[in-house]
Amino acid sequence: MTSAALGASPAAKGGAAALGRALRHVGFLPALLIVLIVLLVLFEPRFMGMFNVFNVLRNSSALMIVASGQMLVLVVGGFDLSVGAVIALTSVVTAKVMAVMLEASPDEIPMAIAAGIAAGMACGFITGLINGACVALLRISPFMVTLGTSSIATGVALLLTNGIPVYGMPDTFVKDFGRAIWFGLPMPVYVSLFILVLVWVMQRQTTVGRYIHAIGGNVQAAMVSGVNTNFYLILAYTLCGMLASLTSLLLTARLGSGQATMSGNLMLESIAAGVIAGVSLRGGVGRVEMVALSALFLSILTNAMNLLKINSKIQTIFMGVIVVAAVALDQLAKRRTRDARES
Amino acid sequence: MSEPAARAAGVGTGRAVAGFMARYGLIVALVVMEAGFAIVEPLVLSPGNLLNIVQQTSYIAVFATAQMVVILTRGFDLSLGTCVSTVSVAAALVMTGMVAANPANLPLALVMGVLTALGIGIAVGLFNGICISVLRVNAFVTTLGSFNICFGIATTISDGRPVFDVPKEFSELMYSGTILGVPAPVVIAIVVLIGIHLMLNWTVFGRSLCLIGGNPRAAALAGLPSRRYLTMAYVVCSVLAAIGALMLTARTGSGEPNLGGNVTLQSIAAAVIGGVSLRGGVGSAYAAALGALFVTALSNGMGLARIDGYIQQIILGCVIIAAIFVDRLRSGVR
Amino acid sequence: MAEDGRNFESSLPDYMSEPSGNLLELTGISKRFPGVLALDNVDFDLRHGEVHVLFGENGAGKSTLINVIAGTFSPDQGRFLYQGRERRHLTPHQARVMGISPVFQEFSLVPEMTVGENLFLGRERARFSFLNKRAMSSKAREVIAELGFNLDPARKVVTLSRAHQQMVEIAKALLTDVRLLILDEPTASLTEAETIKLFALIDRLRAQGVGIIYVSHRMGEIKQIADRISVLRDGRKIATVMADAISDTELVELMAGRKIDVLFPQVDHRPAETLLEVSNLTLASGIVRDVSFHARAGEITGIAGLVGCGKSELIRAVFGLVPIAAGTVRLFGKETTSFDPASMLRAGVCYFPSDRVAEGLALARPIRENVSMAALDLPGFARGQLLRRNEERQTVQDIVDRLRLRPAQIEPAVGRLSGGNRQKVVLGRGLARDIKVFLFDEPTVGIDVGAKLEIYELMKTLLEMGAAIILVSSELPEVLHLSNRVYVMHHAQMVAELTGAQINEQAVLACFFRDENQTAPARQAAPVPAGATVA
Repeated sequence: MTSAALGASPAAKGGAAALGRALRHVGFLPALLIVLIVLLVLFEPRFMGMFNVFNVLRNSSALMIVASGQMLVLVVGGFDLSVGAVIALTSVVTAKVMAVMLEASPDEIPMAIAAGIAAGMACGFITGLINGACVALLRISPFMVTLGTSSIATGVALLLTNGIPVYGMPDTFVKDFGRAIWFGLPMPVYVSLFILVLVWVMQRQTTVGRYIHAIGGNVQAAMVSGVNTNFYLILAYTLCGMLASLTSLLLTARLGSGQATMSGNLMLESIAAGVIAGVSLRGGVGRVEMVALSALFLSILTNAMNLLKINSKIQTIFMGVIVVAAVALDQLAKRRTRDARES
Repeated sequence: MSEPAARAAGVGTGRAVAGFMARYGLIVALVVMEAGFAIVEPLVLSPGNLLNIVQQTSYIAVFATAQMVVILTRGFDLSLGTCVSTVSVAAALVMTGMVAANPANLPLALVMGVLTALGIGIAVGLFNGICISVLRVNAFVTTLGSFNICFGIATTISDGRPVFDVPKEFSELMYSGTILGVPAPVVIAIVVLIGIHLMLNWTVFGRSLCLIGGNPRAAALAGLPSRRYLTMAYVVCSVLAAIGALMLTARTGSGEPNLGGNVTLQSIAAAVIGGVSLRGGVGSAYAAALGALFVTALSNGMGLARIDGYIQQIILGCVIIAAIFVDRLRSGVR
Repeated sequence: MAEDGRNFESSLPDYMSEPSGNLLELTGISKRFPGVLALDNVDFDLRHGEVHVLFGENGAGKSTLINVIAGTFSPDQGRFLYQGRERRHLTPHQARVMGISPVFQEFSLVPEMTVGENLFLGRERARFSFLNKRAMSSKAREVIAELGFNLDPARKVVTLSRAHQQMVEIAKALLTDVRLLILDEPTASLTEAETIKLFALIDRLRAQGVGIIYVSHRMGEIKQIADRISVLRDGRKIATVMADAISDTELVELMAGRKIDVLFPQVDHRPAETLLEVSNLTLASGIVRDVSFHARAGEITGIAGLVGCGKSELIRAVFGLVPIAAGTVRLFGKETTSFDPASMLRAGVCYFPSDRVAEGLALARPIRENVSMAALDLPGFARGQLLRRNEERQTVQDIVDRLRLRPAQIEPAVGRLSGGNRQKVVLGRGLARDIKVFLFDEPTVGIDVGAKLEIYELMKTLLEMGAAIILVSSELPEVLHLSNRVYVMHHAQMVAELTGAQINEQAVLACFFRDENQTAPARQAAPVPAGATVA
């Protein structure tokens, strides 16, 4: 960082830089999103169908929550490959606990639901805690740690269920929560908005957000300035795990069963959403509102491909290309601004 | 004056022990583990099973060697597994297609199958390598991307179903056949290991990979063509993955779109357990082979001890984390 | 700038009521790094309300000492008394809480955060961890205005120039209840006007009883602000003197000591043909502007200058590491068109980086591989792609013997070697192929005296073999004693070429100051505040 900006001539580049900054601040994402929506509305009547809109909203809500957790970890300069496994584990554990509790005492429905949710959230909490502790205290590469915990969590999930979906959750959990429509919109929309606001406030208005960004930006500086870097590293991973668990609760409630294979592509998509939103893989940079937008973008894109009957396998290819391209473009832009700054 | 000297001596013995463990710790662990399994299930140490372990090791050894080549350069390849699936399906499709069209042309079909496999390996490697070394996309994102791309291709061209009727001559060639009494997979693995060992120790390319991984900036200052070599490292990795994929396809006798499921994880685990450092610059064919042997012996032992497959997955996850932790300690020793 | 200084002053506690006695007292501090005894039994004390200057060459131990005081390193031996109490196992954070605020040259700023966010990092105004942004931003503006710095609290640090980053760092240090302020060459990247503001500030802090440790090479400012001066050399404290009781000459003699005659070998320069000729070179980054110089076979060409003047970037550009915007480079009489390390090595030019760990060595790899690293394209080391390991082993063993690497083994990993031996390994690269032009960037930074001497001897041998050596160094005595001709760089430009008897410390230092007055007509020549000159 110190090598930057020796003898820059800000006056000459001021105008262009201001424009560039504005563009970098907002990015092309909103424009891209609007274009995509307009195209779909014009050419694909099914897109605006009630059922389809709800579907898109549900999917994007789930992705937004996972991705905002993933963003926190990316901002501290890490990764979390285990979110998919956490989603699977949470789903299974929640369903199992609810089913067992309900069987034991069929009248204690609220109790069963509360216990199930608590157990599910605990899965994310514990996995996140282990990830964070290994990264912060043992200084193991986040990639390997989360690969390891991912393997472990998936193993536990499969072990608990033998790969068979877990049924027997209380009806009200599914009907009045998972599939509920509140004020004309699916319930997960409200949950995700609430989470987004929460993360935004944390990121922008609290010391927690500040420290997380400082750690990702320059660990040394944060440490010297008296930031308890280990604590906030662990916190970031733990929050990420818990947000993954929350997503899993929403998905499980909607499906009505606990499934060890539920996560699908959410792990990849959460990283994709972060990367497309301009979250730096080197840490320190990332804004939750952009992540939310890019989650919406990805969900609509997937939906559009579904409506166009593009094979889901080819969609996977497409997703891979998008992720690599997004980072490549970001890298290119960064190199250009760096060059501009140095000249 | 004597106190520091005494302390230095203490550090010396500590270092000697640590050094011994760093070098031979894995072999010790392997022996202890096998002894442990043998108490639960004596069959573990039967000649048949030992041969079995060696055979199984040869597959993982090829994949671990592939992974080692890129880990050496401070990267890794998450796409290894789905690259294996793609190769398996594509080679099987080519061979079955050609044999169906003209049964007389079996040798050509086999050759074309192998060439298809190598071609896909080169293509995937070039994609990864160019994205990483020229476009400067982080290895994680690149290979995660190509992981998905390969997965999509494998499932699309096979329609998600296994490709049956791979010529049995192919299986005889690469699976059940023997050379001087040694099973074909073992021969192939040994050839791969020796080849990579020679590459790393006797070629400018191999040496450069070690140096680029050891310190990329120093390598650039020394005028090494880092981008080209880095790209080539990923090509070597994917080509080895393709060879491993052919071996696996020969074993199952069909092209499998899910063949590579656990291969990425296993290959990284084996390489790291064998002592290949994720910080780059440290690795050898020997380390990859030893790591592969350990991973194989572990799952073989757990299988014979009738440990649930899911628990095996959990244990593998724990072993990976432990191996990385040991790697950190080892770097502290150095 | 300091019209409404009351506000700021009143925000700092009044330390005049502190008990008399020393703020800081170090006794017998020693600190050893692998291969180097960085501090050797150093005593140091700091009184309330004084400016204590640390003076010495690069590698004399100044930065280790201030890092010990700031809690970055804990000393191996010695007593650390702060405010009359012994402190052990100090962490940087604890040190800051106790009022020790260091301003290092390597900044402790988060690049992607704004100036304001950086100022308050770790001590945000917050209630239940909710930030009080308004209070922080007004306080930030207040402090910046108070310091008279031209800084926008809302700008990201990454977009600032080095000078402005330096200001942020200083402002950050002053935001706390500072009792002991450490300034490490704070004026290296400041303009004169900013420097004057800084000195006025230092005066105010001194009046409030803050103790200030000030590291600097610049004689002018040392005389201006110092109360006492401690001179360090080779990790030992040579003397502590009152600033008004010593002349510049005496100070320089103390710094360099008698060791000059002992340490530096007598080099016979036999200038022959010009091997490297650089004309009107300007770098894309602007850190070097319109620089011309040449280097001849058989002589050492020195390039002196302050940190950040562009001298290092200049030779890095020649080696193809930094993009060139304009100008020509002629090698052996021919104009060079391809600037990249591989072509340069093939042409017979080799660059030896100052940061050997970051740029020079693959620490995990053996010595042999590190030495032959830049010569793998030669038939002596490889036939095409095939390495000739026996030849390699022999050649490298010869080189290692010549360099007197101890122990003279070629298989251990470089990471096990001490600083001096590591540097020898890097230098060995220059012997592994036919190099005619040696570009040395701070060749002796961070290595012990004995190894230094050997490296100087090596340079001498290289000269006798007809090489051209370019020596870039911030260590003035090194440049002065080894070079046949000395170029002086200042603020991106070549300001002087000294030869023969002109090569002396005063002449070089004069270049820095003469230049400052000449090339800065835009800067206000504000009078030095009366309080800034120290009795």
